Amino acid sequence: MTAKIKVITQFIVVCLFTISCKHSDEHKYHTVIDKIEANTVEYKGEISSDIYNETIKKVEVIDSDFKFLIPERKSQIVSYKCSECHSQPLEKLKEHKVGEKAAHWNIKLNHAGPETMNCTTCHNKNDFDHLQSLTNSSIDFNFSYKLCSQCHQKEFKDWKGGAHGKQLGGWAPPRLSNTCVNCHNPHNPKFEKRWPVRFNTTVEKERE
Amino acid sequence: MKTLKVFGSLIKDAFLEVTHGSRAYHIWMGVLTLIMLFGMYNYSIQLEQGLSATGMTDRVSWGLYISNFTFLVGVAAAAVMLVLPAYVLKNIDFKQAVLIGEGLAVSALLMCLAFVVADMGGPARLWHMIPGIGVFNFPNSMLAWDVIVLNGYLFINITIPLYILIMRYQGKTPNPKIYIPGVFLSVFWAVAIHMVTAFLYQGLQARPFWNNALLGPRFLASAFAAGPALIIIVLAIIRKFTAFKIADETIKKISMIVTVAAQINLIMLISELFKEFYAPTHHSISAVYLFFGLEGKTALLPWIWTSISLNVMATIALTFHKIRNNLNILYVLCGMLFIAIWIEKGFGLIVPGFIPGPWGKISEYTPSFVEISVTLGIWAMGAFIFTILAKTGIAVEMGQLVYKKK
Amino acid sequence: MSETNKKWYSLNLNRSKKSESCGCGSNSGGCNSDKPKDGFDQIMDISMSRRTAFTKITAGLLIGAGAVSSSCSIIGSDESKEKSAMEWEEYFKGNYKLMTDEEKDKSINRLVRSYELNHGKKINISSKNAEENVLFGYAFNISKCQGYMDCVNACVEENNQDRTSEMQYIRIHEMKDGKGFNFEEADDNYYHEVPADGHFYMGTQCFHCDNPPCVEVCPVQATWKEKDGIVVIDYDWCIGCRYCMAACPYDGRRFNWKTPEVPEEEVNKNQHYLGNRLRKKGVMEKCTFCIQRSREGKNPACVEACPTGSRTFGNLLDPNSTIRWILDNKKVFRLKEDLGTEPKFWYYMD
Repeated sequence: MTAKIKVITQFIVVCLFTISCKHSDEHKYHTVIDKIEANTVEYKGEISSDIYNETIKKVEVIDSDFKFLIPERKSQIVSYKCSECHSQPLEKLKEHKVGEKAAHWNIKLNHAGPETMNCTTCHNKNDFDHLQSLTNSSIDFNFSYKLCSQCHQKEFKDWKGGAHGKQLGGWAPPRLSNTCVNCHNPHNPKFEKRWPVRFNTTVEKERE
Repeated sequence: MKTLKVFGSLIKDAFLEVTHGSRAYHIWMGVLTLIMLFGMYNYSIQLEQGLSATGMTDRVSWGLYISNFTFLVGVAAAAVMLVLPAYVLKNIDFKQAVLIGEGLAVSALLMCLAFVVADMGGPARLWHMIPGIGVFNFPNSMLAWDVIVLNGYLFINITIPLYILIMRYQGKTPNPKIYIPGVFLSVFWAVAIHMVTAFLYQGLQARPFWNNALLGPRFLASAFAAGPALIIIVLAIIRKFTAFKIADETIKKISMIVTVAAQINLIMLISELFKEFYAPTHHSISAVYLFFGLEGKTALLPWIWTSISLNVMATIALTFHKIRNNLNILYVLCGMLFIAIWIEKGFGLIVPGFIPGPWGKISEYTPSFVEISVTLGIWAMGAFIFTILAKTGIAVEMGQLVYKKK
Repeated sequence: MSETNKKWYSLNLNRSKKSESCGCGSNSGGCNSDKPKDGFDQIMDISMSRRTAFTKITAGLLIGAGAVSSSCSIIGSDESKEKSAMEWEEYFKGNYKLMTDEEKDKSINRLVRSYELNHGKKINISSKNAEENVLFGYAFNISKCQGYMDCVNACVEENNQDRTSEMQYIRIHEMKDGKGFNFEEADDNYYHEVPADGHFYMGTQCFHCDNPPCVEVCPVQATWKEKDGIVVIDYDWCIGCRYCMAACPYDGRRFNWKTPEVPEEEVNKNQHYLGNRLRKKGVMEKCTFCIQRSREGKNPACVEACPTGSRTFGNLLDPNSTIRWILDNKKVFRLKEDLGTEPKFWYYMD
């Protein structure tokens, strides 16, 4: 009797093992990171984000190993070139006369402190069509991230990699990312406090 | 061909048998039918509205139905455990109990299946589970295992007593060589259904309250206490209302099984409590909710403490031979134990598994009227089926139903 | 390495007949090179024709019954006959994972047609399969999230979720600084100006685990992992047992306790069979990384809606993707990593 049972158990165990030892691709890897590393391949598929970003004018960022697109800026500024108005000295423009177009009157700089930054940290009194770096070299409005990256080194690094900022259109290449000023107002870069866009009454009821 | 004829005749005779009886019998069946109809009406409401008609939510997604299902799997398993001493150890006392036990197993299983169907979001799509035309996630899903073992068990427990009854019906002695292997199989199978049902919960790493190695053994222990306890009560009723003779000795022997199982169950309960409360971890939080409540949410407290006090009192009383051997007290104790384990394995096991949720959120569960009605309806259905099976079985056993060659 | 690497022991019956090169086990679909077979067929080698025969027989019955009912009712029209015939065929269709492309098309045609009959409007349902060399992953920057919940709204609108029960795939947990990731004390249903001082925000949704417990437990294989890593549900195959819900450690799954309601004008008509097409009562649903968008190269709606850039989505296999840069360069972590579920949803801080 016991011998019989033994044989049967052995048989069952053998069966189970033969079944379970069939290999499948699915469980070849211990962790998902192993799987990712083993299967890494540059994506050259047919899906592209281009169709979603067609309407956006782009410029290319090339910085060390990184190469990606950002939205073009200058055409988005309402009255670029700046020099079209800023043909006169600043003091003269400030004497605002009735009937003249007013601009920038509402800008209040809320970015670091006055001892760190003022208008001329970024704008050049003598060349309004360009931004200027801390060392007074000229920076194109399309590449304003160069200006920000002077102080925000860490954010700049994350942004280039993709950990900071936002990719537009889709995940598929080519990569088009927002540049700094697409999300942050350079004169008031902090995100505003506001109310969340929804509140769930049923959830509240359930948990009473 | 002949067997078929005998079977047909048995069905006919059984139909006559179950449609005739005393006034009390007719009232009993009438009441059960009414409850069943009421349950069916409420089930139709649930079908119409969806499961929102129940008290279940995304937070507590299994409730009264699955609780009862879990408990009844235990009853079904334990009922057949009595088969072992009866047929194998040649303990004559048990034989009558066994027929009743198998009848109980069949009705408990049908109730289980009914509870599962009641719990489904799409009962119309259940054919997706039928092998051949559906897709069955075997062997990965424990639920798939459960479906197989439950249906297999149902099959075994219908065929064995049917064979015995058909033989008796014809005035022949059942051939042990035919039914003993089946009996062996059904005993192992009984363990299997209960372990698989425990694994259903035990295998979920998402729910620390269930993901605990003691769950399976504890299921068995509590089932061995609750199942035979129910049988004792049923035997007592049958003894009172029919001419079927059941010796005191039979009941006393079964009460022995109940006692040992209840004691083991209590030890396991203590072991669990010790683990949860001596060195409480983050995973003990469901147990804290169950026994003491969390953040003022205490819906389960009255239930679980009723269960534990009934359980402890009954187990201690059962331990003393003198008390246990007084049959009238025994019936009360069995009733207490049955209720205690019904709470513990139902509400006390399923609901706290979901509270707090994966992100610590607590929303409590209260079964809705529809849910309770459907549950009562299914219990009535179980009682109805059992009455029919027991009445026929007893009539055949007592020689009242005999095959007449025409 | 093999099966033995899994955290629990499981047999391999219905994966065994698949060829090695195919690489689509029972957990992943979208592989139609073989003749499709049902779970048990793979073991028993019974051909698929059985269900077809069953459907035909019962459809015959239905046409009889339908003829009777339509002859009895005054408004019985060809349209209603067509509707009931379609419903019948829909009822007996197979599991999406095992359908041939032709069967998928047929089913989609029926779904589109029945929506047209019921609402008089055309919808577009895609059955686009997973791309080669794509494995989707997600990263969430807990330093950046401000708790505005724009993602939640975008998700509800994109994915046609039930409006009346306020079903949402995404939860944003407001956590106190200095308390760690204390979900018990976090509030996921706050309503005050955000970001609240001294708090940070953490979003959860379906993490599309690489070793998903929900897939393992489903008794009918109504949920599975696609080749691109998205865990999907066949809404028409799900029987509504909610075992997957109990098995998910991340509260990623939702159940339709009642018939979901979406106002006709708000229905997103750009749909995917496995994604945002309209559900019925009694079935599971969850985040699919907006499969109708992501398979087309777009970002999920939550990523697109996020005004803070806390959410990054991308192809984990592409070394040039931003998500890969985050995994390689930031201190990333996942929730409940000890459970061995291998979520493809990482958190990181600035």
